[in-house]
Amino acid sequence: MSHSIRQNEENDSMPVSLISIFWTFFRIGLFTLGGGMAMSLVMRHELAIKRRWVKDADFMSLMSLATVVPGAIAVNIAYLLGRRMRSHIGAVMAVLGTILPSFFVILIVAGVFLPFISNPKVTAFFRGCAIAIVSQLAFTGFIFGRTLLRNWKQCAVCAAGMIPACVFGIHPIFGIITAGVLGYWLLPKKKPEGAGGNAPTA
Amino acid sequence: MPLLLKLVISFMLIGLGAYGGGMVTIPLIQHELVDSRHWLEFSEMARILVVSQMTPGPIAVNAATFTGFRLSGIPGAILATVAVIVPSIVILALLVPCIERFKNKWNLRDFMQGIKIGVLGLILFAVWSYGKAAIKGWLDLAIAAAAFLVLAVFEGKLHPVIVILACGVIGAIVF
Repeated sequence: MSHSIRQNEENDSMPVSLISIFWTFFRIGLFTLGGGMAMSLVMRHELAIKRRWVKDADFMSLMSLATVVPGAIAVNIAYLLGRRMRSHIGAVMAVLGTILPSFFVILIVAGVFLPFISNPKVTAFFRGCAIAIVSQLAFTGFIFGRTLLRNWKQCAVCAAGMIPACVFGIHPIFGIITAGVLGYWLLPKKKPEGAGGNAPTA
Repeated sequence: MPLLLKLVISFMLIGLGAYGGGMVTIPLIQHELVDSRHWLEFSEMARILVVSQMTPGPIAVNAATFTGFRLSGIPGAILATVAVIVPSIVILALLVPCIERFKNKWNLRDFMQGIKIGVLGLILFAVWSYGKAAIKGWLDLAIAAAAFLVLAVFEGKLHPVIVILACGVIGAIVF
């Protein structure tokens, strides 16, 4: 059961048109709230299950690649799906379709609603919302901490992730790299047949 | 260095560190835009995060568009948005042709386990660094604790945006 992630050149069915690729991703980008994971679930439903533009098994292997590289998962999976269907130009269409809706929505919010932000009630509203984000961060930390921090080695790797930003005040990205290296060295190696790409999505 | 170039570099770093979802981009954005570059006030960044959570699209991409627009209009918005997605697209473009080889030889997954835990470390760090700036008194702490309890009780069955909106309404009433 090995599904090639490379673009399928000997595709026997009609290639999907670039406009329908763009339009499908555009609608998903416009109507899906709740971040990358939610978006990729909708993409799976629309592209793999409903339209059958890609095989579901292929979607799943692309998905595991999309979660092992950095960056927004929705953009990553859009790139891979677009490339899979129509090579590089398909990838461009899929990525543009995914990010253009939020690009325009944010421009409208920033350009039209920013002037109203001096209203004290609006400021108070945003202050309340900002507090909720602390809870959301803490909750995400709690959920992943429960499964990822089970012994001292894992706690040490976790601390290594915090130290560069927390103690030295340098860029947090070094924390991620330090944790990756320390984890590689300290944590038990996984079996080579680890097929499931269950990267945590915060 | 011109502002637009700095903007591009900052958002490329944010794009590179945005590993495994939206929450981890919060400490990165705070570090780059508020603590190190002083482009935004904390309250402004918090507003951007709130808007990003309530509008479609990934947080990192939304924050890039918003910050770029705020700092230098439409060109800034376009450049920052492109900058935040370029690193992962380049990495994917390089990985796609040789993914089969990668699978067996260089064990990416062992490196990944550490990265996942490091990302968790960053999220815990963000609870402190972001929380310190967002929570200013006992009332704020009480709202945060109540929101945490609601999230924990429903455990993922409740959309976070609902909790954010509810806290906003409470904020508009009590502050």
